[in-house]
Amino acid sequence: MILRNLKFALNSAWQSFWRNLAVSLAAVVSITLILVLAGVNLLVGHAFSQVLDGFRQKVSEISINVSDDTPLQTVYDFKQQLEGDPRVTSVRFITKDEALAQFKSDPQNVVLAQQIEGNPLDAKLEVHVANLGDVAAIDTLARRWSGVDPTDPTNYQGDFVNRMLELSSWLSLAGVGLLLILLVVSVVIVMNTIRTAVYHRRKEIEVMKLVGATEWFVRGPFVIEGVMTGLIAAAIALGLLVVAYPPAVDRFKADIGFIPLSYDPAFISSLAFDLLLAGAMLGALGSYIGVRRFVRI
Amino acid sequence: MLLTPDFEARPVINFQHVHKTYPTGTEALRDINLEVPEGDFLFLVGPSGAGKSTLVRLLIREEKPTKGKIFVDGVELGRMKRRKLPFYRRKVGLVFQDFKLLPNLTVYENVAFALRVLGEPDHKVQSRVAEAIDTVSLSGKEHTYPANLSGGEQQRVAIARALVHAPRFIIADEPTGNLDPATAWEIMQLFLRINARGATVVMATHNREIVDLLRRRVVAIDAGQIARDDRSGRYHDDFAQSQVRAK
Repeated sequence: MILRNLKFALNSAWQSFWRNLAVSLAAVVSITLILVLAGVNLLVGHAFSQVLDGFRQKVSEISINVSDDTPLQTVYDFKQQLEGDPRVTSVRFITKDEALAQFKSDPQNVVLAQQIEGNPLDAKLEVHVANLGDVAAIDTLARRWSGVDPTDPTNYQGDFVNRMLELSSWLSLAGVGLLLILLVVSVVIVMNTIRTAVYHRRKEIEVMKLVGATEWFVRGPFVIEGVMTGLIAAAIALGLLVVAYPPAVDRFKADIGFIPLSYDPAFISSLAFDLLLAGAMLGALGSYIGVRRFVRI
Repeated sequence: MLLTPDFEARPVINFQHVHKTYPTGTEALRDINLEVPEGDFLFLVGPSGAGKSTLVRLLIREEKPTKGKIFVDGVELGRMKRRKLPFYRRKVGLVFQDFKLLPNLTVYENVAFALRVLGEPDHKVQSRVAEAIDTVSLSGKEHTYPANLSGGEQQRVAIARALVHAPRFIIADEPTGNLDPATAWEIMQLFLRINARGATVVMATHNREIVDLLRRRVVAIDAGQIARDDRSGRYHDDFAQSQVRAK
């Protein structure tokens, strides 16, 4: 019986979608636009989080400069101490020679490297900290170590890290806020579309109720119609975003090169899932609310 | 075979001191006490605005009484939970003056609609719909749309839809109101046949000729109260007076 009712609801929803094609298309277009905006929001959010992740990666690595007169054993002891710290994921010792080689290998330093005589660079301990919030504590630990270069102890920039963390949380909050506004708008659109469909079919609903249809039997086709509308809109929005995403990233890179934005094809499947789920849920919710008053027996 | 209602048996429909006042303040029904035994054929008569339609709406639980109780088949309608209401309505066949057919469905689909809503399987739908359409003598018109049928034929479709799920009660609100006298009479024959099969029929009507000819139970409502309840009555209590009025 459930299958028969489902078949009836699917048929009914499909017929209603086509019978009220103008209204259905208007809803599809409106929801598509909203989902495109939501998708752009997600893509921009993802791109920035990628950029921020890159920065985080960098700032969660602290470089401790070792004073030239520090005995090697002291360095190894401190390295071992750091490796035993649960907040630290890895420690790498870079000798003075390796530090110089690294410096010279950077194309930005070509001119400067030619003018260097001897090796003015310190040996370093490159410490990777698991949690960005713990970098400050490791920095303090390093500064207290006897082998640290007192003139230039570490490369830790607390202010920058704090600002970046703050920016990151503001961006996330703004993204969530925008998404919420878009969700409310699309629910209202679906609700009104379904109300129009319900108005067209009010006589059918009245007859359904009089012959003993349950509320869910009456409501089912409208909810399915809403889900259909949402899914079609989500598919179109996804198509538009997939087509527009790579050229948009290229354009952005060309215009604002210092922000290392990149195209991430792996994110498309996650975006597809989010948009289709959002489309279906919005359609269902909008229909459920839109039809509620009319189907109440 | 005609089924004779047993007036001594427990009534299947029972109104106990029922009052209905609408939110606007209109007092539609006052202290209605009415018992309908199984298999009864009851005419509700009275002038427009007397309260007949309100009584019908209470019976199909489109409205709840303001005061008093209504029992149908032992269940009190006023206390019935909303989720149980569809199952109650499945026991009832409803026929209205304006037919309430779905214009975009054929005769067959309109009748089948009542069974689809119940989730009946296709084979059952086919046989029951064919039987109902045959009962109302519309065989051959299964694929016709309501717009291409006469008023009488449309009302027959509505009756077929009302009886296709074999309801125990048929409630009709002015079913002959839009029909010419000959067609109205044909429709009444259908109701009599349905009643003869055992269904209890409650019919609100203005059709004096039919009520007077059939001589069934007549409950007259006036100004929201039961003015008369005759087991074998006429439209007007004073037949001679009614003849004068008719002239």
